Amino acid sequence: MPVSGIVSRPTYEALAIDPAGRRHLFVADHAFEPDPGVFAALPSEAPVELWRALAEARVGSGAGPRANALARDFRSTTQLLDALAYRLERERVGLRLYAVGLESFVWDVARLARGLGMDSSEYRLSHVGSNRRRVYCVHCRAITENVATNVVACSGCGANLFVRDHFSRRLAAFMGFQIDAEAPGEVPPIEEAFP
Amino acid sequence: MSGADHLPLRVRETEMISPLLKRFVFEAADGGELPPAGAGAHLRLTLEGEGRRWKNAYSIVSAPADRSHLSIIVRRVSPSRGGSAFLHEAVHPGAVVAAHEPGNLFPMSHIARKHLMVSGGIGLTPFLSYLEAIEATGADFELRHFCRDEEIPIFERILSGFDAGRITIHPASAPFDLSQALASQPLGTHLYTCGPEALMGLVLAAARDHGWPASKLHSESFGGAHAGGLPFTAILKKSGLKVAVRDDQTLLEAIEEAGLEPDCLCRGGACGVCLTSVLEGEPDHRDHFLEGAESASNRSIMICVSRAKTQNIVLDL
Repeated sequence: MPVSGIVSRPTYEALAIDPAGRRHLFVADHAFEPDPGVFAALPSEAPVELWRALAEARVGSGAGPRANALARDFRSTTQLLDALAYRLERERVGLRLYAVGLESFVWDVARLARGLGMDSSEYRLSHVGSNRRRVYCVHCRAITENVATNVVACSGCGANLFVRDHFSRRLAAFMGFQIDAEAPGEVPPIEEAFP
Repeated sequence: MSGADHLPLRVRETEMISPLLKRFVFEAADGGELPPAGAGAHLRLTLEGEGRRWKNAYSIVSAPADRSHLSIIVRRVSPSRGGSAFLHEAVHPGAVVAAHEPGNLFPMSHIARKHLMVSGGIGLTPFLSYLEAIEATGADFELRHFCRDEEIPIFERILSGFDAGRITIHPASAPFDLSQALASQPLGTHLYTCGPEALMGLVLAAARDHGWPASKLHSESFGGAHAGGLPFTAILKKSGLKVAVRDDQTLLEAIEEAGLEPDCLCRGGACGVCLTSVLEGEPDHRDHFLEGAESASNRSIMICVSRAKTQNIVLDL
């Protein structure tokens, strides 16, 4: 079982708009359709954009979730994050950014936003979807994506990594360390921990 | 936390920048290196006049990296509580004054990608040290300074050493809309304002209206808040003292005159260090520290700037 009581484990609140923002950009790693109630607190003229990375890749743009809203679809989260970096470099103070999706995705967005001058009062993260984790190997520093089990073979060095609740906002990943370092091969039963 | 005024400073030179503005350059009385002071730091001087003692805080305007001297610019305030007039008239080169180690309640953000400064009048002073620090790091900045029309040449001269292309001096008489400046700043810009309360209030309200988060807004007020008021009496329960607060002094100054040394730091109602419990009486809150409910409950008072609405106020001191 994962080690509990670790305070770096992020917690998330339900997606809510920050009406203090002048412009609002939603980014999602799936076919996210915001609940119209989300926009209730906004003045009708406030610009809203919705960017989504879709599994069925048909890049395009069109009408968004409400009047004054623009929707833009991407082929992948990689492409979306690339466009987001370009956009944020040209943005002005007053923007609010909302990331919706897997933990690895929303923290990638947060990392990008922080690097381009936003702080945590200007972006909101909402975890939606599976609990699969991105794991950072503390030995070889490789990243292993989509980890559902308590122990996983590192994608870099192959070590049996135990996945902790210890989360790095900088790396947008959970810490994994070799569980059988002292006694090679002594690995606890592998079970699905992050469905 | 109030600490001792154990830093003796000798006045190396003074300069009248204008009839109302006087620059003081201090060095360590022992000739050594001065303690470090970051951009935005202030110096608290203990001034001993005839039968009168002032503890006034002034923004340091010299380069933060230079520890050979500390400079301040003092505006002669009218009506003065006495400190600024004393500095203008009675403190000359060679004089030694007691100071506290520099404190900083208005530091620059270290993660800001750009610094937008808006100042009014003598509120420019903390930004002079910002500009020195910015010059050293090459950070992006913009300064908008407001002053009385007739003082424009004075401030042009004060600012003449810095990148004029990014500095705008606005005459107070001309209409000016900050919206354009506030709506066009890149993400990662931090806004700093220092000057008269009315100006700072306008700037901060306009920034919030343009979607600026509180985390990127910084302000420092000076003087003004405690200037004047009706005399009243403070009864200090623990020490059993009855202190008469005159119209031209602050509650804190009156308490210090009575021989107590309550904890304090900024002496401007911002830092919260001098928070004191009110046992009886109604405070006249003039600080920036107490939040709405806390302020309304009248159970606490920031003694450095606030006064009493009632004839007597009983404090837990």
